[in-house]
Amino acid sequence: MSANRWLATGNYFTTYKEEQRIFFTHTDRLLFSFFLVCVFVWPLIFETNNTYMLVVDNILIAMIAVLGLNIVTGFAGLISIGHAAFVGVGAYTVASVSRVMGNDYIFLTHAWPLMILLSGFVGAGFGAMVGLPAFRLKHLYLAIATLSFQMIFQWTINFMEFFNQGQTIFIGRVFWFTGEVGRNEHYMFWYYVILIILVLMGFMVRNLLRTRFGRCLIAVRDNDRAADAMGMHPGLTKVYAFALAGFLAGVAGALHAYLYRGVGVESFTLKASITYLAMAIVGGLGTLNGSFWGPAAIQMLELQVEKIAEHAGDMLPASINLATALRPLAFGLVIVLFLMFEPRGIANWWRIVRSYFKLWPFRY
Amino acid sequence: MTYFFQLVLSGIVVGSIYALSALGFVLIYKSSRVLNIAHGQLIATGAFITYALTVWLGIPIYISFFISLLITFFLTMSVERIFLRRLIGEPIISVIMVTIGLMSILDGLIYLTPFGSENFSFPLFLPKEPISMAGVSMSWTQLVGVIITFALIGAFSWFFKKSTIGISMRAVSDDQLASMSIGISVPRVFGLAWATAGLSAAAAGGIIGNTTGLNFDTLHAFGITVFPVVILGGLDSILGAVVAGIIMGLIQQFAGGYLDGNWGLNGTGVVLPYIILLIILLFKPHGLFGIHEIERV
Repeated sequence: MSANRWLATGNYFTTYKEEQRIFFTHTDRLLFSFFLVCVFVWPLIFETNNTYMLVVDNILIAMIAVLGLNIVTGFAGLISIGHAAFVGVGAYTVASVSRVMGNDYIFLTHAWPLMILLSGFVGAGFGAMVGLPAFRLKHLYLAIATLSFQMIFQWTINFMEFFNQGQTIFIGRVFWFTGEVGRNEHYMFWYYVILIILVLMGFMVRNLLRTRFGRCLIAVRDNDRAADAMGMHPGLTKVYAFALAGFLAGVAGALHAYLYRGVGVESFTLKASITYLAMAIVGGLGTLNGSFWGPAAIQMLELQVEKIAEHAGDMLPASINLATALRPLAFGLVIVLFLMFEPRGIANWWRIVRSYFKLWPFRY
Repeated sequence: MTYFFQLVLSGIVVGSIYALSALGFVLIYKSSRVLNIAHGQLIATGAFITYALTVWLGIPIYISFFISLLITFFLTMSVERIFLRRLIGEPIISVIMVTIGLMSILDGLIYLTPFGSENFSFPLFLPKEPISMAGVSMSWTQLVGVIITFALIGAFSWFFKKSTIGISMRAVSDDQLASMSIGISVPRVFGLAWATAGLSAAAAGGIIGNTTGLNFDTLHAFGITVFPVVILGGLDSILGAVVAGIIMGLIQQFAGGYLDGNWGLNGTGVVLPYIILLIILLFKPHGLFGIHEIERV
């Protein structure tokens, strides 16, 4: 029976290939294209300012990073407590070019897409290196390996003269075909760059999960011995997963460096790693759209927390630092509550809403 | 040569505190296979409770130390009851992530108190002059700290080897189903494991607070250095925790004493444990005394 490709009411798959499609119906495809167009067009229609665009840019960068974290933690089932360090590796790749060649070096300002790609590959290299114990170990130990990578990274940046001991390393303004990207269009320019990279990466990950490797990842997560018996190589799969996560993190780091036009260690500490983990958990581990919900939700929460801290901070004695206290408190609570009550994250709510509209006006 | 012995001595002092902190971590891992990422925060909590009781309430330190042990005992027990009990049966990975969340929550709670941003130090209650012998010196606080540490470690080993509760904890760590069938309440054992871990963490915190002063960052760093120690010793071995703790303390002191300042290196004592950790994970993942599970994937 050939299904209605516009309004499918159920599953009519006759081949596995059909089941692996990205868009099940033409309506899905149409709605998604419309959404993409909206995302590209809205800054042109509405009036925006730099502060606002910076927040949006930040969310998009976090989305790229969390996409990577979701591959390693969500799909491969390995906890990574050092994801911010991988992001930092990407950022410091850009920073070290700036440090060696000067911050206006032509490769840095003109060939920035190559720079971003390079940071991605450096991140992938470090990811694979940290993932190496996966050949012999199960996930618990890997969590500790990532944690120790985080500590080694922080030490390296904080103590080495080359990295300016964690102080900001500046990066020059980039050039586009129209000339130097000036102060006013800076955030708008990077919005489009980050958005295009995000869309590319999103499709890349989505397609990756449809391939042999993607199925391997999930098989290894669910039962590594069975996966081994089926002829997959669990250790190698995990190392690949780490490398891939490192790549995405490296790209995110390079974008972060270019967006802020400087790199300092404080964006890549253990706290940032936990923030990324919170984003992945809140969004929904092991779901693709969770990597987009999580960062948005957490960054919004962060803004609200800052606002509350500002208002309430005046009423409290100065010895109590409400701003630094509320942030970890809120993140910790969000992580714990989501894990206890909604382990599948916001992505699950999205699934419920979607299936409601799909089946409407019927209940099921 | 005096310098060398001085380093050995301070290495043992620091190392014994590491051993005590690692002990609590191993307890939790042994009974429930959970990596407690929030262990550093437990140490800090214990230290701050001791300080608050001693200085703000004016209770003599001998008593306040034990009161803080008791408070932390019940605190961690309730943490287990509230957050972790309902996760029994869930995949271990989500339990570990709950401890990451707990770490963040405790961080936030500590930042709400003055301890988060300011430095405190305990009032001296022991003679101020250090004990000197052949050029090597050691303060009284350190000496008492080491003695208490080893007494506690001895007590814990006895508890595990001989007492009924200790034996039931070991039984649970070996096989949960079998121990349930002979009438051991597994959730209660988990609660007790967390509570004893909290107790040892508080003891470690109190001793660190007395020897080095109270600073949240330092205490927090102690909690993270526990990871190299337990990996070196083997995640499920109490003896391993003690031996590895002292080895790690010695390594840190030697690195700080001989490497720092040469060849443009600085703060090597902080980073060396983690580099060792990564190397051990690659070549001898079960550590010095860990049980070799034939479960390599």
